[in-house]
Amino acid sequence: MSFNIAIAGNPNCGKTTIFNGLTGARQHVGNWPGVTVERKSGHYSFADQRFDVIDLPGTYSLSAFSAEETIARQYLLDEGPDVVVNIIDASNMERNLFLTTQLIESGRPLVIVLNMMDMALEKGLEIDSETLSTLLGAPVVPVIGRTGEGLDLLREKILRVATEISQKSRPIDIIYPRDIEAEIQKINTLLEKSPLAERQVRWTSVKLLESDEETHHAVRAVDGGKEILDQTNDSIARIERLFKDTGRAVISHARYGFIQGAIRECVVENLSDAVDSSRQIDRILTNRWLGLPIFGFFMWLMFKITYDIGSIPMAWIDSVLVALMNFVSGVLPESMIASLLVDGVIGGVGAIAVFLPNIFLLFFIIAMLEDTGYMARVAFIMDRVMHNIGLHGKAFIPMIMGFGCNVPAIMGTRILESRRDRILTVLINPFMSCSARLPVYVLVAGAFFPENAATVIFSMYVLGVVAAIASGKLFSKTILKGMSKPFVLELPPYQRPTFRSLSLHTWERGYIFIQKMGTVILVGSIIIWVLGYFPTEVTLDRDYNAERANVSTQYAQELQDLTLKYEASIATDSSTYYSEMLSYRASSGYHMLNTQYLDIKAKLNASEQAEIFSLKQQEIGDITEQKWIGQVGKIFEPIVRPLGFSWRESVALITGFVAKEIVVSTYGVLFGVGENVDEGSHGVISGLRSSGMTPLVALSFLVFTLLYTPCLATVAAIKRETGTWAYTLFSIGYSLGLAYTLAFCVTYFGGMFNWLS
Amino acid sequence: MFNSKRPRHQLSKAIEGDLRLSDLKPGEKGRIQEIGGSEQFRQRLIEMGLTRDAEICVDKYAPLRDPLELIIRGYHLSLRGMDAQKISVERIS
Ligand SMILES: Nc1nc2c(ncn2[C@@H]2O[C@H](COP(=O)(O)OP(=O)(O)OP(=O)(O)O)[C@@H](O)[C@H]2O)c(=O)[nH]1
Repeated sequence: MSFNIAIAGNPNCGKTTIFNGLTGARQHVGNWPGVTVERKSGHYSFADQRFDVIDLPGTYSLSAFSAEETIARQYLLDEGPDVVVNIIDASNMERNLFLTTQLIESGRPLVIVLNMMDMALEKGLEIDSETLSTLLGAPVVPVIGRTGEGLDLLREKILRVATEISQKSRPIDIIYPRDIEAEIQKINTLLEKSPLAERQVRWTSVKLLESDEETHHAVRAVDGGKEILDQTNDSIARIERLFKDTGRAVISHARYGFIQGAIRECVVENLSDAVDSSRQIDRILTNRWLGLPIFGFFMWLMFKITYDIGSIPMAWIDSVLVALMNFVSGVLPESMIASLLVDGVIGGVGAIAVFLPNIFLLFFIIAMLEDTGYMARVAFIMDRVMHNIGLHGKAFIPMIMGFGCNVPAIMGTRILESRRDRILTVLINPFMSCSARLPVYVLVAGAFFPENAATVIFSMYVLGVVAAIASGKLFSKTILKGMSKPFVLELPPYQRPTFRSLSLHTWERGYIFIQKMGTVILVGSIIIWVLGYFPTEVTLDRDYNAERANVSTQYAQELQDLTLKYEASIATDSSTYYSEMLSYRASSGYHMLNTQYLDIKAKLNASEQAEIFSLKQQEIGDITEQKWIGQVGKIFEPIVRPLGFSWRESVALITGFVAKEIVVSTYGVLFGVGENVDEGSHGVISGLRSSGMTPLVALSFLVFTLLYTPCLATVAAIKRETGTWAYTLFSIGYSLGLAYTLAFCVTYFGGMFNWLS
Repeated sequence: MFNSKRPRHQLSKAIEGDLRLSDLKPGEKGRIQEIGGSEQFRQRLIEMGLTRDAEICVDKYAPLRDPLELIIRGYHLSLRGMDAQKISVERIS
């Protein structure tokens, strides 16, 4: 036999820790249908029974105001789990028990877990769990989730409740003030006669008095529903008259009254000498003057660690990939399959694989910030700034991370609780100029603004931030209007993180990256490879082989002439050599001739190599022009022409869709300098300069590169985090539109005033 | 397409009482009288324990003067100044 167990509790009460403690590694992380709220499920065996465990979203109540609450509630009511395990933070019982009062009313068999007993002890709290159990009508198990203490007892209690279906311990009722009880009774009586009688009648009555929309809906739909609703409205009116507040507020107040009564009976608070260490830490970390600089330092450190330390394993992965590519091209004969494997699959997926160290490090640091409790302080410190864009303080972290790479940054938006905030942050994140765009800036700015390159590059970063802020404001006033939630943030006590929890969180997020990004990137890079590979037969106007042969013969001729001349002069020299055998001057003359000869010969050789190389690359450029990718570039050329771009820019931008730094290597190919250009490459710079591009168009190109469609990996991340194609396509379209508009403005207005022409 | 959820409970409630939570200085305590604002906001706060007559203490302000940190029912909670303004309190010393 198997049982369904649901874990419910407030955010941060240790649900995930207990879930992991119960299920070990046997778990599955996914999303709840239709929403990007994480859904964790797993199972364990105990006493030959199988227990399927589901981790409900952390909520403070079941009032269905947020997606998380709706999910938790629907699961509890519709799926009817065999046992609900309610986790309570023992060091913060009063507020945690609020949800418990609702769970008791929902009527599911309940096991209550007093987690964080260590913290409660530290706080000087003595909790009588026997009495609490009697008061709440459910078994209470004290646990330290972190060490696993008490989990065995918990398994046992779950088993007992599941098998007995708690026949003995009759669930208690939360008793409300007499005037409310009277109204509940009136509605109960009506409900018991209606088709809703088999549901939890008391729960329904209380929810009706709380003006709960979904319950009202459900009741309206049944026979006699109207009568019940009429009674409800009467009752609410009476309660409001008596208590001078809404039914909902009065009932919540009464719940807290019940809780306070229970706590008075079973908790003894020993005034401990132990200072509130968490508060002491906060004296410094959120200090008026020190708070911001310390936060800035942490952010700097996070960047430093992610990108500097991350670059070490990045180099290893890179060399492994190169070795792999060499190996494959070594064993396979040159063929389409070999090219597909090497350039398409290994090259494409490898481009993502090298980011793995960065991403895992970043997730590790984020897990650290979250587990220590500092993340809540980040929200506290930065809320003032982010509020301007209509965002929650925590959104600052993904925004900053965007300067490194948008992919982990967008995945980092999971730290935000509200879906609307997540979507808004995801949509503006690509405007934060990621590190992949820097090589493009360096190349183009270096070519056209050698004097002011740094200023130009810096202004790109500023423009990105401005675009993000402006778009954020625009979105929060238009498409994402009215979905904003009030800022109500709990600041949990600081905690020492455990390595186990850190690695678990890191792995969970990192794995999603590997899984999802891998597939999308693979498909994307194969598409780009196909565009670059076909058609295999191209006809070239110029006969490059002949030209190369021509160059070779020319040089061979010159070399021969030179050698002849040299031998001749040696001959003359040696005749005088014999006659003036002892002359020092002659011998040095001989030496001079010899070095001169070798020198010229070397120079000739080098320039021959260069010419052949350049021909080779021109050929590649010509070939590219005829491949599908070049044709696509040509197709889009009329569209980008108003911006002053040629088909080359068009191709570069299209390939840049895979990853923005590819823009540079594409230019390398197009200008015949080879793929491995470094940013300062003279060939590309002179190529760019002689291609007819003006500094103004170059600037416009930079603006376009900064803002246009995020790279493929980012698009995949957007799809993953927003969960819908609608937002993904919107993001692509919006950024393209913005890039086009601003680039056009640069070209058009700049041209009007003859700037930088 | 984007507004999958219609806004609910947008009725807002005006409150009386002169002293607001946002008027308290760091370290000062108050007793909650009434909470205004949207129904969703009110309910959220009440669920978090900000019920009538509950004792609340302003612990400190963030470095940029907003939001503020409160202590209620033994735990720490942060609200924005503009939201704290919707809560009327009675000062206790
Ligand atoms: N001292 C102590 N800390 C604990 C205990 N159980 C969990 N924690 C810590 O409490 C923090 C929150 O635990 P989680 O398991 O992530 O809490 P959660 O309820 O899943 O939180 P959300 O996912 O935000 O809803 C983590 O830093 C845990 O290490 C415990 O028994 N004692």
